[in-house]
Amino acid sequence: MSAALAFASAAALAARIRSKELSPVALLEAYLARIDRLDGTLRAYITVCREAALAEARRAEQAVARGDRLGPLHGIPIAVKDQLDVAGVRTTAGSRLFADRVATTDAPVIQRLRAAGAVILGKLNLTEFALGGTQQFPYGQPRNPWNPDHDPGGSSSGSGIAAAAALAAATLGEDTGGSVRSPASNCGAVGHRPTWGLVPRTGCVPLCASMDAIGPLTRTVEDAALLLAAIAGPDATDPQMRRRAPDDVMAPLRDGVRGLRIGLVRELTHGPDTDPAARDAVVAAAEVLRTLGARVDEVSLPLVPYAGAAFMALADSEGAGMHLQWLRERGAEYDAGTRRRLLAAALLPAGAYHQATRARALIARQVQAAMTHLDLLVTPTQPGPAPQIASGQTPVRSKADAGGRFFTRRSYTTPFNLAAMPAISLPCGFTASGLPLGLQIAGRRYDDATVLRAAWAYEQATPWHDRRPPE
Amino acid sequence: MALPDLTPADVRALAAALGLAPTDDDLLEVTHRLNAMRDALAPLGALPLDEVEPAPPAPEPS
Repeated sequence: MSAALAFASAAALAARIRSKELSPVALLEAYLARIDRLDGTLRAYITVCREAALAEARRAEQAVARGDRLGPLHGIPIAVKDQLDVAGVRTTAGSRLFADRVATTDAPVIQRLRAAGAVILGKLNLTEFALGGTQQFPYGQPRNPWNPDHDPGGSSSGSGIAAAAALAAATLGEDTGGSVRSPASNCGAVGHRPTWGLVPRTGCVPLCASMDAIGPLTRTVEDAALLLAAIAGPDATDPQMRRRAPDDVMAPLRDGVRGLRIGLVRELTHGPDTDPAARDAVVAAAEVLRTLGARVDEVSLPLVPYAGAAFMALADSEGAGMHLQWLRERGAEYDAGTRRRLLAAALLPAGAYHQATRARALIARQVQAAMTHLDLLVTPTQPGPAPQIASGQTPVRSKADAGGRFFTRRSYTTPFNLAAMPAISLPCGFTASGLPLGLQIAGRRYDDATVLRAAWAYEQATPWHDRRPPE
Repeated sequence: MALPDLTPADVRALAAALGLAPTDDDLLEVTHRLNAMRDALAPLGALPLDEVEPAPPAPEPS
């Protein structure tokens, strides 16, 4: 089976399955063959559900033959971050501590994917407990498909790799502070963090309850919308869910950006930490959106550079609280980078957490105030292209080293986590050395449809999504 | 006012109070990380924090 088929969008593959041009079993076997050939190096997967997926694909094929009513993802092989429970499969959360933790039920998002017809292909690699900063991955070092010496991003590392390298038709990740958008940016994929409260998080190993959000990583914006439509909506098991039915994200997808008011965030686009390649790509993307009919103006949000520090004080403190007993009793089982990050957070005083909570409210107020006269905000997703893996594996040597590694990069994605807003990353260019760059588009709370609509318009007007990593 | 950096001995004592016993290998890096976090958080103190309540966004915006 050709690479062209494996790289086709999930939407196109689903249409071919519905029209009986494509067998779900043959499609699954094509992805399994790619995993066998490429994943020894890329290490996107922790668990490949080979036999279970083949059985599901055979059932999907029989349903097509019978002429059953088919869901929008019928027969589509989807892999999910190994932070999400799939019944009968272990959920490691990327940690040795959970090596034997087998889920007994599907998370609601998995139930919804299955209801839409998806075939669950496997569980994807991640930084330990979705924290970021893992130095030695217990289930193999995930590698960037564009250059295996470079970081694929995290924490949904395997989701970004599998989407970009066509090791699945589409994937799910989870984004507490950028964990869907960072791997999307680094790997040249599309990653959408939904509005917090739109997608149920039950059955997802938690990190920070007020920011955890499950979202799709895919090769196209349409596929991101398709997956979001499948997994969004109220669920009684998650107390933080919005109680009304979600807006339709598919119908307005092709409506274009004419008339939309878009703010190019000055502090993140032209900030001192932004690589010129990332800046230039995003400025050029803003021009494309302008050409398509949007009104794009620069906007100043002076509090967003504080977002990384506020986020880490909140998310790391909550993580440390959750892990405290294990840190006491099973500390040696953690990766050294994870353990040291959690230990440091455990020692933060309550006053720092309180201050960060107020800073969060201030940052959210400023960002949301901008949305009273803007429909969308655009920024680089990351300050630059994917760094080398080796740069994150060395011990932290000074407090300046720690600050440079952990705070700056997070200020690009976390303003929208702090404000509970939706945000997407999609490719907007490549560096001279061939590494992808990401454009981030954020929108009003629960207006994921406009975010996806603008991303689709940009994607269709540019060639970046057509590029494939080398094999 | 900038707070002085914590020393590894300070960090070991704080950790012990929580029942945590970082190894010697961990201790220096935890000290760097904690001091970096304190430095990164210090500018937040200059923001008008009293203007807002210390609460995350509610699931359903008002």
